[in-house]
Amino acid sequence: MSEGLLGSEWFRLILGLLIVLGFASLNALFLVWLERKVAGHIQLRPGPMEVGPHGLLQTIMDAIKLMGKELILPAKADRKLFFLAPVLVFMPVLVGFLVLPFGPSMIIRDMNLGVLLVFAFSTFTVLAILAGGWASNNKYALLGAIRSVAQNVAYEIPLLLAVMSVVLMVHSLSFSEIVTSQKSVWFVFVQPIACLIYLISATAETNRAPFDIPEAESELVAGFHTEYSGMGFGLFFLAEYTNMFIVCAVATSLFFGGWNGLFGISLGIPGVFWFLFKTYALIFILMWVRWTFPRVRFDQLMNFSWKVMIPLSLANLVVTAIVLKLI
Amino acid sequence: MKVKELEAIMLEKFPDAPLKRDETGLTGALWSIDVPISGIRDAAKAFGSAGFFLESITALDFEDTFELVYHFNRYEPKSRLVVRVLCGHDQVPASICDIFRGAGWLEREVHDFFGISFSGNTDLRALLLPEDADYRPLRKTFGKVSAYHKREEIYG
Amino acid sequence: MAEQDNTQEYRRIYTLNLGPQHPSTHGVLRILLDLDGEYIVKADPVIGYGHRGHEKMGENRQYKQFLPNASRLDYLSGMLFNHGFVLAVEKLVGIEVPERAKYIRVIASELNRISSHLLWFGTYIMDLGGFTPFLYAFDDREQILDILDSVSGSRLTYSYCRFGGVTRDVDYKFIDMTRAFLKRMETRWADYDDLVTKNIIFIHRTRGVGIIDEELARQYGVTGPNLRACGVGFDVRRSEPYEVYDRLDFEVPTGSSGDALDRYYVRFKEMQQSCRIIDQALDQLPGGDFLTKKVPQKLAPPKGEVYAAFESARGLSAFYLVSDGSPGPYRCHIRVPSFGNLNVLSEVLPGTLVADAISILGSIDVVIPEIDR
Repeated sequence: MSEGLLGSEWFRLILGLLIVLGFASLNALFLVWLERKVAGHIQLRPGPMEVGPHGLLQTIMDAIKLMGKELILPAKADRKLFFLAPVLVFMPVLVGFLVLPFGPSMIIRDMNLGVLLVFAFSTFTVLAILAGGWASNNKYALLGAIRSVAQNVAYEIPLLLAVMSVVLMVHSLSFSEIVTSQKSVWFVFVQPIACLIYLISATAETNRAPFDIPEAESELVAGFHTEYSGMGFGLFFLAEYTNMFIVCAVATSLFFGGWNGLFGISLGIPGVFWFLFKTYALIFILMWVRWTFPRVRFDQLMNFSWKVMIPLSLANLVVTAIVLKLI
Repeated sequence: MKVKELEAIMLEKFPDAPLKRDETGLTGALWSIDVPISGIRDAAKAFGSAGFFLESITALDFEDTFELVYHFNRYEPKSRLVVRVLCGHDQVPASICDIFRGAGWLEREVHDFFGISFSGNTDLRALLLPEDADYRPLRKTFGKVSAYHKREEIYG
Repeated sequence: MAEQDNTQEYRRIYTLNLGPQHPSTHGVLRILLDLDGEYIVKADPVIGYGHRGHEKMGENRQYKQFLPNASRLDYLSGMLFNHGFVLAVEKLVGIEVPERAKYIRVIASELNRISSHLLWFGTYIMDLGGFTPFLYAFDDREQILDILDSVSGSRLTYSYCRFGGVTRDVDYKFIDMTRAFLKRMETRWADYDDLVTKNIIFIHRTRGVGIIDEELARQYGVTGPNLRACGVGFDVRRSEPYEVYDRLDFEVPTGSSGDALDRYYVRFKEMQQSCRIIDQALDQLPGGDFLTKKVPQKLAPPKGEVYAAFESARGLSAFYLVSDGSPGPYRCHIRVPSFGNLNVLSEVLPGTLVADAISILGSIDVVIPEIDR
């Protein structure tokens, strides 16, 4: 499709990027509000109610407040790294939006290496967290950053192994192909263990409770973002919620049928609504888990990954391979 | 070890130390014994091997002397016993922090507020007051004081 | 104190300052930690940030003027300390307290004990990362604060107990609110059980963590639930019964291993036992005076001393008053349980992880203002 201005590749790309930026910002705003409401209701209180109807405008006001705050640079901090870290944590995550299958033909770039792209770029967050923690010249921040690196590396492996099980079944790394092959039955029914491993690893990868040790509020003050104020802190925050959306969207595409309806029944609702509904349902579950469980201790977390998750995901992969060979 | 046995041991160690039984229950203890300043470690060792724990160390400031009051207790009903040590304003009693490890902080507090040094306690830094405090607040020569008595005016 | 090592040579062990401003230290506490990676090599608690000079104040005030100070020592067990001080002075002067007042004081004290334990419960789980039980616990605690507020006028620091009784009588509203509260809590225990006690992450964070055995407890004078978790059933309400505790039937829960999980269980069961005590006390509440009329305005106690011990929410507390015959004490010393409870940390923390340090600090339930006085 290359006729005229409207059909040119470049136009499509730029339009896609603008939509992505807009969507990412709106999504982050919405998720912050949702988190506070979910937290409130689980804790027997209503959450934000003052600003806007049911507190809907709260996040916008908070964002404006954060933007107005002074950017504090701690003494002897590494200036370049300190200001690079929040940018580095936010930008690569946006790349993941390029390949997400929102609907049957609603992908900005239908790459045949879509899955690889998403996970390659989401690993950047580890680097950014380490940079932020190191550059702060603060022992608490450094401890948080070190823990985060170890945790992310450890949980990356079962995450990818779980995804590999699905990729083996579909013979493709392309999101649209994975989603179309779930037309009749979602992969969560075929690969329940892989789905569970993926969801647990995703919670650890996005530093959400019960794996939120890097930002363990009550232990390390605020972990790796102790010294950040204003927009730097805001960007870390935004990146966390965007990352959450990406991992849940990937889970939806890989395991929950993407834009397909249940068992092929779509009830006339367009695919994009199915996709968004499933993604936000998974996000809600992540939030629910956060406000219910206490935090896992760091060595228990690492033990769990290396001694339980990785063997389990390896076994799952092997069984998948054997079953596929036999069928 | 029964309290009676401990009483016998104490009377044996300190034959002329006055042992006052408490009939009224006001002091919260069964008896209290006045031990000379040189005998505090022996007394503490005896209490330690009898299974007592150190409940509190405090000091009283009189015109003529300090008095250190050690309250010992056991995990049994009504087993509190008191050891009292008269200690002059410039005397240095021995520390019992190796017999009862918790005494380290209690002695630090007494040193902080009264200025009584304990020989053998290597860590007598300020506990509750600032590190550079050179005043001793609970002495009756410091700050606003409503009464300053000699010991016999209260205890007879 | 570690000297400042200004050379640039490689020091494997680094010093981390936990607090004074820290979300998890309960009060203003600073612990100087020497860390080897994440393991604690040395722990040195530094206190005194909240020293207000209560003991010196005690010497310059009359007994009745010192009454409000007592509950500000350990503000979470304000009623218990208020009660304890009043007991000490009554013992010294020899004031008889009417039966009704004794029962009312016991009910108020036990309600305060429950509220202190509930606050501990909420903040402990919050320290470990679970934010929700905190709000549930505070919801229950609000009920207690409302009950005590209706009769005494204060929510946190009470001067409800006076020499010779209590300042106001309890009416049917108080009794009904208390009974409604007890009924409500019966269902709550199961909720807390499901949400926290059976939570596998919580159990992993607390089992085997911060073990205080009996010998260590004896060395440091650890009392209260921390001691009872080691298996020693020592409770002042049983060993030196005061007021009407000898007429009430309750258990003293004990643990077995002295780890953080046992301390949690002991406090949890203590809350339930306190509910039992309140229930019996309400049943046995006699009529009569709530304040004896024979207390003179200016107290004239005999010369001598008094040492009155009571069981506060954190352990064995005591007021040691030396009287010279004047209306105020010559020496007012307060024995606080958190002193020994915090002191023991310098031996319990080395060898543990930093995350465990938070768990241990939370489980021993110290309130720093009571240590600092």
